[in-house]
Amino acid sequence: MINSILLVDDENLFHLIFEDACNLLDITLSLKSLNSAEKAEDYFKEIVAKTRKRPDCVFVDLNIIGSAFDGVELIRKINFEYGDNVVIGIISSSDDQFEQAKAMKAGAQFWMVKTDEIEPRLEQFKKDFDAYLNRTQKFTVYK
Amino acid sequence: MIKIDESTRKQFLECYNDREIMLEGHILKLIDSTGDQEFDSYIKIAIERDADNRRKRIDFNKEVQKQNTQLKKTEAENNDIKKRLRDALTTAEQAKNLAINDLEELQKRSQVELIGTIVKVSLWIVCAVGLITTLLFGISLFTGVDNKIVESAWSNMFGILLTNSFSIIGTIMGVKYASKKD
Repeated sequence: MINSILLVDDENLFHLIFEDACNLLDITLSLKSLNSAEKAEDYFKEIVAKTRKRPDCVFVDLNIIGSAFDGVELIRKINFEYGDNVVIGIISSSDDQFEQAKAMKAGAQFWMVKTDEIEPRLEQFKKDFDAYLNRTQKFTVYK
Repeated sequence: MIKIDESTRKQFLECYNDREIMLEGHILKLIDSTGDQEFDSYIKIAIERDADNRRKRIDFNKEVQKQNTQLKKTEAENNDIKKRLRDALTTAEQAKNLAINDLEELQKRSQVELIGTIVKVSLWIVCAVGLITTLLFGISLFTGVDNKIVESAWSNMFGILLTNSFSIIGTIMGVKYASKKD
């Protein structure tokens, strides 16, 4: 089981779906959901300032509507400014290969396509998580 | 894992037996019920109920999400149709204005052409009257016929024609100015 997950997605309804899916699949008991890139950045700033434990894994939406910057930029910030061995990736309804390449360059380790059937992808991700943590898993697209 | 003391355990079980109320959520997965068959069964039922509720909620939320997506798509289509209608309306408005302008231009041009024709005819009449009168006056001068009447008529006529000529020239200039394209 993953200790803690942070989800950054503008769609509040998806927070509920993701939380329920994680609970049903025993993926994590500790899930935090934020709906803007700025809030996620502030959250990481606070973690660094107060030397609190970072989440083990971060799922970031590609287009976080209402945010000053997109998911790829947030991943870059978390990876290079605040993150320390955080497994991070994109969760998006898009399956654009150009965006996937951009995300990979920014430090994303996975890309999960967000459709109705999210559970099988989360299950597969759960199996791969340890390899992500050990940095032995190559960039994977779950679709 | 969390160990539940005997009194709390009893209260949980009573609450379930009397009112069908159970613990729910992530905490269930952290409670240690090993060695206590009754409480273990309670925890299993609670986890199952919680999972059922979550499954129902997840299905419902997915349905809502699907409807939201459909609504957004329909809204985008509506906006597109509205935009196309607005564009068509603007084009029609522009075409209407163009047609009105053309019609006005046509009316103005035919009026100007009519005035021009009148002016030209008037100019020819003026010239012809002038020439005829001058010719008559010339004949009367050479033939020695009494030319008092023709003389005064010629001078009157010439004076009137001269005055009218300026008026006609003025009109011609006005017509030219009016018919000039911007």
